[in-house]
Amino acid sequence: MEKKLIPKGQLVHLVDKAKKHMGVFGPVKQEDYVVFRPLQEGENPLPSFGNARNAPKEFLFPPREVMMIYSQRGRDMVYGGEYIQENRALLFFVRPCDARSFVLLDMLFDQETYRDPYYVRRRAATIVITLACNKAPYKACFCTAVGGSPVSADGADIFLTDIGDAYLAEFITEKGRGLLEIWDELPAADDEAVKKKENIAKEAIDSLESKPPADKIKVFLDRNFEHPFWDTIHQRCLKCGTCTYLCPTCHCFDINDETKKTNGVRLRNWDSCMYPTFTQMASGHNPRPTQKERWRQRVMHKFKYYVDNFGAISCVGCGRCVILCPVNIDIRKIITEIAQL
Amino acid sequence: MRSNPYIPIPMVVEKIIDEVDTKDIKTFRLRFEDREDEERFSYFPGQFAELSLFDKGESPIGIASSPTQRGCLEFTVQKAGVVTTALHELEVGAIIGIRGPLGNAWPIDYLKGKNVVIVGGGFAFTTQRSLINYLISEENRNQFGDITVIYGARTPGLLLYKEELAAWQKRDDLEIHITVDRGDDAWVGKVGFVPTVCKEVSPRCENTVALICGPPIMVRLTLPLFYDLGFLKENIFTSLEMRMKCGIGKCGRCNVGNKYVCKDGPVFSLAQLDQLTPEY
Repeated sequence: MEKKLIPKGQLVHLVDKAKKHMGVFGPVKQEDYVVFRPLQEGENPLPSFGNARNAPKEFLFPPREVMMIYSQRGRDMVYGGEYIQENRALLFFVRPCDARSFVLLDMLFDQETYRDPYYVRRRAATIVITLACNKAPYKACFCTAVGGSPVSADGADIFLTDIGDAYLAEFITEKGRGLLEIWDELPAADDEAVKKKENIAKEAIDSLESKPPADKIKVFLDRNFEHPFWDTIHQRCLKCGTCTYLCPTCHCFDINDETKKTNGVRLRNWDSCMYPTFTQMASGHNPRPTQKERWRQRVMHKFKYYVDNFGAISCVGCGRCVILCPVNIDIRKIITEIAQL
Repeated sequence: MRSNPYIPIPMVVEKIIDEVDTKDIKTFRLRFEDREDEERFSYFPGQFAELSLFDKGESPIGIASSPTQRGCLEFTVQKAGVVTTALHELEVGAIIGIRGPLGNAWPIDYLKGKNVVIVGGGFAFTTQRSLINYLISEENRNQFGDITVIYGARTPGLLLYKEELAAWQKRDDLEIHITVDRGDDAWVGKVGFVPTVCKEVSPRCENTVALICGPPIMVRLTLPLFYDLGFLKENIFTSLEMRMKCGIGKCGRCNVGNKYVCKDGPVFSLAQLDQLTPEY
């Protein structure tokens, strides 16, 4: 694996160079929080931040995307062509939890049968630069409890560690190494830099305080679809869907048509298992009639069904749903309580 | 299915048949607009497709025609939501899209060499009609044992495929029991709920598979009845219905436990259902 040093003073220059070849996305400050978005001309990723409020998942699987177009022919609306964006993109300073979510989403969208062309083509055109967390950014972080780590390179094409006055850059994949053609002046990393990284990694892992026993609850979930515990989580839920919209691994969507006079687009929009209409059938029947069944679905999907189907928990421990739930429903608490049942 | 599974195959509405006296169930016969699509579209009874109307949306509907019936596809659609209501307003010659075939199918290979009991109720009979026509077709009939059909509707006017039912009744290689919950002046056939008729008929369980599909209440009462008749749970099948969008196991809404009804179903054996959560 190729290891280089990126002196911090060089960062602006490298970002500008990359911008000539592809769209560059990164964390920037907006009001009193950080968002992950396209970097404008002369704009740079924040050098120091916790994590972006929005998960970078949205650049592979946007909240709203056009799938195809249609237009009127006589009395009918007919298909007018597919619409797939596959512009080259560079995601700069993705946190390890979020980069790991791409690996989890690959399992679903890039299956042998029924490959999702929208996700797959965008994913192939995207380079992920992960920035390790030297220290857990939030008290609500729990990546190590769900199979991740603040220094995990899962999903990264290039893995950066802040080692003081420079970043140690590890070029992991072919896609990542491709950037060396643009960044052709980077000095090679010395042993000292690598050693520094190893020490930082150890401290980073130790800095995680929150460790809900997520790997212990599947035994309970396998056997307790019906259990009084399911009556306890949802009571104060507002059905706002914030948890699912912020989640780096939630992938549920709706398909909708939007017509303007004689032309229209078929869209894919994010949807949420927290909404009553999500499973509402035209007959009036709803297999998940109350918030209780919807919360059970959310927990089961992430900690049992995904494990059954793909062998991995569908949660990366980023803590967004914990921090931003308006009524403080805490998935870590749910995990911990289930583990005690 | 096209290489992008979200893109519908264009079809032309060739014929529209009013099935019931309440005028809210129609059968649409669709012809492929593109020959290549027709050649690629290979399906089995029990599979479904997303019927796609640009500007309205999509609706998952079981394929009512049999693969042995070449050159067209048929879908029997009840008017219920936005898409199906728009479908009911279509005229012959209209262009619509379909995505499919989707889902698994009735267990055709498993049925070979066995007796088959088909129990249908109401409007859910559509993919069973596909199956019956498949089983009794000249090319397939000798691969299967005795075929028994028990089909019921609320009233005589709500029975689907009336001409075919009459034709099936004349055959000697098919035993068929048609029943209605409530008769009318003209009705001379059986009156009684489907589970009751199943009990009367009491099909033998030896080397026999039961395929049950209908409204939830009928299915709930009929499944245990066949179990009591001695049928193995592996030999009782039903087809589930859920709200669907993508049809290919991505959009996340039609799961029952860890299975997606669209991709892993809609047909499940009672043995499989026992392993799943009862959320349907």
